[in-house]
Formats: sequence, C-alpha cells, structure tokens
Amino acid sequence: MQVSPDELKAKIIESLNLQDITPDQIDNDAPLFGAGLELDSIDALELVVMLEKNYGIVIKDIEEGRPAFESVRVLADFITARRPPPS
Amino acid sequence: MDNLVITAASQVNDGDLLTARLGGRFGRMDRLSQLALLAVERLGAAFDAQPRDRVGICLAVRAGSLSTDVEYWKGRDLAGGLSPTLFTYTLPSSAIGEIAIRHRLTGPNLCFVGNGPALLVEAEDLIRRGETDACVCVFCDSITATAAELIQEPASAQAWAVFLERNGEGVILSPENGRDIASLCVNFCARKSANETNHASLA
Repeated sequence: MQVSPDELKAKIIESLNLQDITPDQIDNDAPLFGAGLELDSIDALELVVMLEKNYGIVIKDIEEGRPAFESVRVLADFITARRPPPS
Repeated sequence: MDNLVITAASQVNDGDLLTARLGGRFGRMDRLSQLALLAVERLGAAFDAQPRDRVGICLAVRAGSLSTDVEYWKGRDLAGGLSPTLFTYTLPSSAIGEIAIRHRLTGPNLCFVGNGPALLVEAEDLIRRGETDACVCVFCDSITATAAELIQEPASAQAWAVFLERNGEGVILSPENGRDIASLCVNFCARKSANETNHASLA
C-alpha cells in the first residue's frame, strides 16, 4: 500500500518533536537534511527508529538508508517498496 | 575589588514550557534542557555587552540527568528501541550545550549535580580569577514522578537563572544576600518591582 506524503510528514513531525511546524509547511520534494527542515545526524537516527516503529522497516546501516532520506516523497516511496506485507 | 552584581534573574516552571516557543529544536530537548534554556531566555540579558567568549555558563542540576536516564531506559522495550535524541540528553551538562549554542556563548562552563550551593560561589570565582567577565548561572530542579520515587525525593520542574556581571544595576552578590539562587531571584524581582513602582509614582 502506498504511503502518503501527508501521513509521513505527520509522523516525522511527531517523532522529531518539531514545534510550530505543520505538514503543509513541509515541501514533499525539499531536502530533509541541510536546508529545508535543517535536520541533523541525530534526527536521521530518530527517523531510522521511526521507520522501524511505524512501518517495520529495519535499517541496519545508516549509509544504506541515506538515499531514502533525500525528501519526503523519496522516503514515502522507499517505505512503500520496503515495508513488510501485513501478516 | 569590583562588586559582582546580578543584573538579571528569572524563574520558570513546567507550566511555562507549554507556551514557550523557542524554535523547532526546542521540542526535541529533554525537560531539564527546556527549563534551563527557557530560564536563560527569560533573563532577557544583554549578552552583547561582553564578547561572547567572555561569558561563562554555570549549571547546577538537583538530580543530574536521572529523569531523562529513566525515560530513555523505558524505551528499551519499544519497537525501534531507545531514542537516539533522548540519548544525547542523558548527561547532566547537556543543557549547557543548548544554552551555549542558542546564545553563542563560548566562555568557560561548569556543571554541578546536587542542590547547587556551590553554583554562585564557583561562578564568582570564575569571574574573580579573570577567566570570564560575566556568567549565566542556572539551577535546574527537574525530577519526574518516576525518578522521584527512585530517590525518595519530591518531584519538581523548576529552573532559576541569574546573570552575574562585574558592576551594573541589580542585586550585589554579598554575604548578606547569600548565595542561594532562588532567594536571590526573589530578591532581584522584589527590587525590580519596587523600582518600577517608584518610577511610576514619580512619573
């Protein structure tokens, strides 16, 4: 099942405790790190935890997950492709 | 010898955190860092009066990072495991880093665990020894109910901050005024309120 960018943005905001940021303020194609939301390496680790907690996706090597964190849209596609089927 | 003067003082509690808006990063901090950072923010102090590398930070925390340690450890049973963000706050001195980053203060810093009687004594010493010209001093009393139960002490969520400088307007650090930061904050606020009343009656 396709993960919607809006659902994902809400989960990102919740897991990173981003104050005063609403999903509609996050551009689906803006970089998550550096510019854009200005997330850092600790946030990247927190997103890895969020993926496991919410979608059952385990990333053992942060380098493996790096391309997936390019933007909300790319991450949503990554989750859709990698999430385990419902049991 | 120069007088050391408390030129700004503040006190905050967990109720103040509900309305605090200190940017997107504030939300990810643990409660101890949030309280400490908010207390410093409420000082409204003019840190620009000195070069930023001449302003020190002294922090005392009643139970160290115990509350955050407990909260972090609770995460071991959750899917996804322990929170990497929370891990960065499992050090009592984390709040010093947050204060230093937000206000770009690069002077010396000290962190004490306990009720903080040494806080202002050490801050005074830093200034008198010439290591710094001013010091942000914060006492953070942040203990969650779970942590309080562990150490058989009352839960709390408060922080006090003072800005200590050479000379200036405010409460002089003296044996008569003591070294208790909470009492000095009350003293400072009473003095400020009296000054404002005097100014209003003269106007």
